[in-house]
Amino acid sequence: MRIEVNGAGHNVTSPPLASLLTVLREEMDVTSVKAGCESGGCGACTVLIDGQPRRSCLTPVVTAVGSEVTTVEGLGTPDSPSAIQQSFIHHYAMQCGFCTPGLVVAATAYVNGGGSDDLDSVAEAISGHVCRCTGYNKILEAVAAAVKSSEFDLSSTAVDKNTVVIKTGGAV
Amino acid sequence: MKAVGARLPRYDAMGHVTGTTQFVDDVRVPRMLWAKMLRSPHHHAAITRMDTSRAEAMPGVRAVITWEDVPLLTYGHLEALGIPADEPLLAKDEVRYKGQPIALVAAEDVDTAMAGVDAIDIEYSERPALFDVRKAFDSDSAQIHPWGNWYPHFEGEMDRRKIRKGDIDEAFEQADKIISGVYRPAAIEHVPVETQVCLAVPESDGRLTIYSCTQALYFTMGVIAAHLQVPLNKLKVVGGTVGGGFGGKVDTASDTVSALAAMKAGRPVKWRWTREEEFLASSTRAPWHMEIIDAVTDNGWILGRKMLTLHDSGAYARFSPYGVTKHSFHHTGAYTIPNLHFDGYVVFTNRVPTTAMRGFGVTSISFAVETHMSRVANELGMDPYEVRLLNANRINDTSPNRIRYTDPSTVDVLQSLAGAEGVQLEGAYAGMTRDPRSGDLLPDHLVGQLKTEGH
Repeated sequence: MRIEVNGAGHNVTSPPLASLLTVLREEMDVTSVKAGCESGGCGACTVLIDGQPRRSCLTPVVTAVGSEVTTVEGLGTPDSPSAIQQSFIHHYAMQCGFCTPGLVVAATAYVNGGGSDDLDSVAEAISGHVCRCTGYNKILEAVAAAVKSSEFDLSSTAVDKNTVVIKTGGAV
Repeated sequence: MKAVGARLPRYDAMGHVTGTTQFVDDVRVPRMLWAKMLRSPHHHAAITRMDTSRAEAMPGVRAVITWEDVPLLTYGHLEALGIPADEPLLAKDEVRYKGQPIALVAAEDVDTAMAGVDAIDIEYSERPALFDVRKAFDSDSAQIHPWGNWYPHFEGEMDRRKIRKGDIDEAFEQADKIISGVYRPAAIEHVPVETQVCLAVPESDGRLTIYSCTQALYFTMGVIAAHLQVPLNKLKVVGGTVGGGFGGKVDTASDTVSALAAMKAGRPVKWRWTREEEFLASSTRAPWHMEIIDAVTDNGWILGRKMLTLHDSGAYARFSPYGVTKHSFHHTGAYTIPNLHFDGYVVFTNRVPTTAMRGFGVTSISFAVETHMSRVANELGMDPYEVRLLNANRINDTSPNRIRYTDPSTVDVLQSLAGAEGVQLEGAYAGMTRDPRSGDLLPDHLVGQLKTEGH
C-alpha cells in the first residue's frame, strides 16, 4: 500500500484501517497534522485529499491510496510561505498555534475553490475547526484578505480596524 | 524605539503557519514507549484489591506504575508555601473522583498499553458520591476526606477565608432594604486543542529530560523533583510551547507519572491523553455557590454586605485555597462597601479537582457582583449605571482587605460602557470623576473606611 504525501511516495506499514493521521504522524513524522480529538470534532488533523479538506483522524489510510495528500508542509515553507500563510501571520490569526495548520489547510481549499471574502461565507468554511485562543475574528480577517490579495507584509501585523463582528443569536 | 507603539510580527508565527513549531507530541526520540492510565470508573470508592502481575507479564509491557512506585506519594503545588497537600499522585486505598489515576502501563505501542490497563485486576467498594457543593457543605452529608468536607488549613488553621470590616450590624440596622441573591456559575472545561501530554526521556548520565506542556515550568520541576525525591539537577524540563492552556495546564498532570515510568522502563515514555480523558479527568474551572445579602438605602448606597462563598474544589485542594483568597479580596467587585462579613470555604465534592482558569477566583465574584448590582438597581427602581457609579471605587477608598486604591478605573469604565451602549447619563453621573470622595459622594457611612490603615 503506497500513498502520496506532499508529492512524495510512501510505503505504508500500518494496517489498511489505520487512520491517515497515525500514518502521517507516527510512520512519516509529518507532525503538523495534530491529534486534537481523534474523533472528527476539532479539525486540527485536517489535510487535503485531492484538494478537498478531510479529517485525517477519520480517514482510513487505505482510502487515500491513489489520491494526492497535502499537509500544511506541502503548501509553503518558512522560506517560501503561501499567500494564506502570509495572511495568517500578517493578520495575527493565531495564538498557541496548535489549530493553525488545520485552519491553513482548510483556508487554502476555500480560497483555491473560489471562495468569496464575505465573512459569513468564510466562517462557514472554517466552522469545522476549534480554536480556543483567538476568538476567530482574526482568522476570518486573514482568510478574507487572502481571497483578495496574494502578498502580505510580514514585517508588521495588520492594524486592528475592529471592523469584524461575528453575528450571534443574542447577547454575547 | 522600534517596539513601542509598533505592531510587531509574532516570533513564532512562521512556525505555526508552516507546521514546523514543535509541540510536545511532535518531539521524536528513538525506542519510545506509549503509556495508558487505569482510571477510576467510580466517583467515590475504596480500592479493596489490586493486582498488576498479569499486566506486568504481558509481552510488550515494559513498566507498570502504581502508588508503590512513588517515593513521595502525596505532594502539592502550594506545599512550598506552607499549604499541606492532600492528593496522592496515584490512588492508593481510595478514589474520590471518576477518572482519578490509579496505575500507568507503558508498552511498545498504544494497543498493548491499553491491553495492559485492561489486564490489571482491581476491585472497588463504592461509596456515596457528592456532586453539589452546597449539599457537600451540609453537616450530615457523606464524608469525602477523613477531616471532613472542607479545607481546614487557612492561616492559623482556620477552616475558612474570613473577612470582617467595619460594623456589619450597624449597617443592617440602618438599611432601608435588605437585598439578597444566590449565584451559582457552573464548571467550565478549558478544552485546549492540545490534550495533556508528556514525553519523559532517561538520559545516559542518569538525568531525565521531560518534555512538558506545562504552563508553569518551575512549579512542574519542583513537583516532579519532590514526588521523585531527586535533586532538581537531575531533571531537565523542556517547555514553552503549549497548545492552549488557559489555566488548565498549571497543575502538573502528566509529567511525574511519565517520568517514573521512563525511569522504571529505562526507555522514553510518552503519555498523551485522549480527548475523552481530557473531558473526564482534567481539571476544570470551579463551580461556585455564592450568597450575597446587602444592606442598602433607598437612594442607592450599599451600606454593608454579608456573603457566604462555597468554592467547589472537587476531590482535592490543589490551588483552591489560593483561588478563594483572591475571591475574598474582590468580593465587593469594583465597588466600595465599608461594612463586610465574608466567609469563604473550599468545599470538597466528588468532581474532578478544579483549578485556575483565566482570572482564578475573580471571574466568579465578578459575575455575582455585577448580577447583584443590577438586582439592587432593579429592586430600588434606580438606573443600573447610577447605582454602580454611586458606589464605584474612588481614589483613597479601601478594598475588603484594606488596600487603599490609588488608581481605580471603575468610574471611567462605567462611563465608557454607557457611551458604547448609547446610554445618556444624567449630568452629575456623566461628569463624575474618580477623585477622592467629598460632598454628596462622602456620606457618613463611607467616612470610616477612608481612615482604615492600609498594610
